[in-house]
Amino acid sequence: MSATPTNSPALAVHVRGVSKTFGTGETAVTALNGVDFTARQGELLMIVGPSGCGKTTLLSVIAGTLNFDCGELDVFGSPLHRLKPREITEFRKRHVGFIFQAFNLIPTLTCIENICVPLLIGGVSRRVAERKALALLDEVGLGARGHERPTNLSGGQQQRIAIARALVHEPRLIICDEPTSALDKDTGAHIMDLLRTAARNPNRCVIVVTHDSRVFKYADRLTEMEDGRVQRVHDQGGNYDLSE
Amino acid sequence: MYHLALKMLLGDRAKYLMLVGGLTFATMLMTQQCGVFFGLLKWTTSHLSNMRAKLWVVDRKVEQANELKALRDTDVNRVRTVPGVAWAVPVYVTVQSAKLADGNFKPVMLVGLDNATLIGQPPVLLRGKLESVRLPNSVIVDELAVRRLSSGRAKPLDLGDTFELNDKEARIVGICRADKHFFGYPYVYSTYTQALQFAPKQRKMLSLILAEPAPGWSLDDAAAAIEAATGMKAYTEEKFFWATIWWYFKNTGIPIAFISTIALGFIVGMVISGQTFYAFVHENLRHLGALKAMGASNGLLVRMLLLQAFIVGFIGYGLGALLVVGFGRTAVARGEPPFMFPWQLPVATFCLVMSICALSAVLGIRKVVKIEPAIVFRG
Ligand SMILES: Nc1ncnc2c1ncn2[C@@H]1O[C@H](COP(=O)(O)OP(=O)(O)O)[C@@H](O)[C@H]1O
Ligand SMILES: [Mg+2]
Repeated sequence: MSATPTNSPALAVHVRGVSKTFGTGETAVTALNGVDFTARQGELLMIVGPSGCGKTTLLSVIAGTLNFDCGELDVFGSPLHRLKPREITEFRKRHVGFIFQAFNLIPTLTCIENICVPLLIGGVSRRVAERKALALLDEVGLGARGHERPTNLSGGQQQRIAIARALVHEPRLIICDEPTSALDKDTGAHIMDLLRTAARNPNRCVIVVTHDSRVFKYADRLTEMEDGRVQRVHDQGGNYDLSE
Repeated sequence: MYHLALKMLLGDRAKYLMLVGGLTFATMLMTQQCGVFFGLLKWTTSHLSNMRAKLWVVDRKVEQANELKALRDTDVNRVRTVPGVAWAVPVYVTVQSAKLADGNFKPVMLVGLDNATLIGQPPVLLRGKLESVRLPNSVIVDELAVRRLSSGRAKPLDLGDTFELNDKEARIVGICRADKHFFGYPYVYSTYTQALQFAPKQRKMLSLILAEPAPGWSLDDAAAAIEAATGMKAYTEEKFFWATIWWYFKNTGIPIAFISTIALGFIVGMVISGQTFYAFVHENLRHLGALKAMGASNGLLVRMLLLQAFIVGFIGYGLGALLVVGFGRTAVARGEPPFMFPWQLPVATFCLVMSICALSAVLGIRKVVKIEPAIVFRG
């Protein structure tokens, strides 16, 4: 097992020997089988691999939304394997931004209100939250649509709102599960551009799980998974070919 | 975050309206039925509110105000001689039939008052003079009697008009307002001796004796003294009131009927609001899970759900209570159906409605607390 110091400034995420099994007995599924994994600050890292290989499970573990059976996990110096549930919730609130394949915007709220959510959960006042949300809305190029319901927007626009929501509280870790899989090529490219820009912040790390080979070129590094393990790490995402 | 919680609920029009509607209905059903129930029970004590006396002396076997057993005329004097009694007067209460202009008969509650003192007199005299009731064949009738007995006449009954009371002519010398009797009979007042003439002769014609304790005697002591000395039953006004209410509670199906309607209101409210709220939470599970992933604690989510549940509770209760107040005003103005709205009633329904909301919220809360934030990554 790696002896890398857990507080290394360059490492954003450091996973060591993490395993996770769902269910028990005959129906048990080992989704993660001793995963070792790192993500650096200031990079956009992709996790790729065939369906069912454990990408989403690994992402859930890194995001602090899923307990794992054994192993250790440091995220920006926080040893998640040692934190209490309450502290993990607090950790997610402060440090993690989420982007999902299905956008997961609340349909009864306006776009601005959706973007405000992480700030409001963090106890920021409504006024300040709305001001920040407006700024983020401009950044994703939807400044004029703030008061509409997300359901009035196209898929790509909704994902841009979701990105604004993921960035609004300036988290250090951005977690994206298949962010472009529900979108066409050009829209997906636009989304990846936004994520690339977000990853330019040297204190931040963007982790993207995807099986969408059209967007591999946006990655700084690519981690390839298979059967619950990390198989290979490619240093230039752009050159990676899934058919390899 | 709380304003967004409300928006999430309000944004789901169908469920919001269902919740508010269900709670409005439950509030209405419970409050209104209780109001009618209390009103009805109050009607059973109309003799007490109409005659107003501190001590009520009746036959030993009498359990409530509407089943009086005749006493002997001499019993009044026996009560008067009891130490501790300041005064005692006879009252004759009987149901007699009045003949209408169209030939029909209507029962009336004939009250014969002590000739000298007229104690037990109508609570509010609207027209005419009380003393005129001492004139021969004279009666004072209540407003209900005017309405009931006027049918078949060109003009409603008025002062100076006559009608037949048990084949004898009765002249109206006063119109009063009296609390309605449980059986719906209008009150007709005359003097004691006049009442004896209206009614067919019987061996014992005294219905009850109204009395007051002598100075220095407590109500209970005076009542006990009367009972000891005469063997009759002496109730204080309050005891007679509650004895009567309890008698109807125990001996009629009325409470069962009302309690089941009230229970129905609670159950219907609970089912509608519980189910709707549960469905609301269920449909929003994904979003609530996302909030959890984003760092919302269980505590925050629970508070959001409670807020949602109690807000619809307040609105539903408010609407329901308003509707009942409207109904109650009409009922009280018309004199029927019976209705009584003591302050405890809206308070009690408020508590019931809030407990419906709390129970509904608990159903949702159990679900929310169990959500794994990781579900947001699942399709
Ligand atoms: N909550 C769960 N309960 C049971 N099995 C699960 C659960 N989540 C994932 N799995 C299983 O774990 C394996 C890995 O799943 P996942 O991480 O979603 O893969 P990927 O995202 O790479 O497609 C799959 O076999 C999947 O069926
Ligand atoms: Mg997946």
